[in-house]
Amino acid sequence: MDATGLAQLVPGLAKLGGGLSIGLGALGTGIGMGILVGKAIEGMARQPEAAGLLRTTMFIGVAFVEALALYALVITFLLIF
Amino acid sequence: MNLMEHLQPHVIIPLKIGSIDISISNAVISMWIACLLVFLTLTFAGRIGRLVPRGLQNFMESLVSFVRQSLVHEILGEEGMVWFPFIATLFFFILFCNLIGLVPKMFTATSNINVTASLAVIVFICTQGAGIAKHGVAGYCKTFVPKGLPKGIAGVVLTVFMVFVEFISQLARPFSLAVRLFANMTAGHMVILVFISMIFMFQGVVARVFVTPMSLVMAVVMMAFEIFVGLLQAFIFAILASIYISLAVHPEH
Repeated sequence: MDATGLAQLVPGLAKLGGGLSIGLGALGTGIGMGILVGKAIEGMARQPEAAGLLRTTMFIGVAFVEALALYALVITFLLIF
Repeated sequence: MNLMEHLQPHVIIPLKIGSIDISISNAVISMWIACLLVFLTLTFAGRIGRLVPRGLQNFMESLVSFVRQSLVHEILGEEGMVWFPFIATLFFFILFCNLIGLVPKMFTATSNINVTASLAVIVFICTQGAGIAKHGVAGYCKTFVPKGLPKGIAGVVLTVFMVFVEFISQLARPFSLAVRLFANMTAGHMVILVFISMIFMFQGVVARVFVTPMSLVMAVVMMAFEIFVGLLQAFIFAILASIYISLAVHPEH
């Protein structure tokens, strides 16, 4: 394939990369968030009196985990648009 | 169809000082409206002064006492209550900015990276300022070096490495604060936009009959979810700001 043909491929490849970026990013964060929330609920069930503290800590943890997926999302935006 | 242009601010009144662009865009106007609404709701809710609160006063009092208790007092302690006005301002401003974006024809100021980056830089400056005010410049620089490193050449290498790592983590905090808020708001509003624009993407009559009700229902569901996300992100931003300040003030944690 010559140079112009490759150049025509680039936007499509960028969109493919963007889709893969958010997909794989969400895959890892989904597993992580599942473990996080599951463990938090385990803790809450074991010690209902500590539920408030656990919930706050869980939300902070969720925010950190979620940030990773959002970095992938930003990359997706950059690649697609 | 370029969905991204709906999330770009439009200049309403072009203004320039020298080469600095300070145009009044719809993002600026929505931030003004958010400021005004924060001011009005908190002032009116505070002025009612019923002994047994009800309605607006009840709602705002529970929010303020939530910010006071679980965002400031539990993390920063009694001497950290000087930070309560700052954290509460961040919380209410971001909350109102997020929620105003859900009103049709209004712009979400927090879905613009410049707005969130400014807020994160303010938090960064306050964090460093709090650390320096507590420990002094030299004392604050010492908190970058962890205790219990070995003596000798290995200790020097480790110290340089740890200070480098600490620098990176300090600089990553405002970045992650800014990107988290920006990406959450952008993504949420983008999803609503995608559901609405699905109505226009499908051309055939039969497809539209099936797609239109589904996408409207999903848009409403996503909007309800966005109200929750707006609250949660304001909470996260405020609690992380107060955690960062507490880390700078009490570095042993």
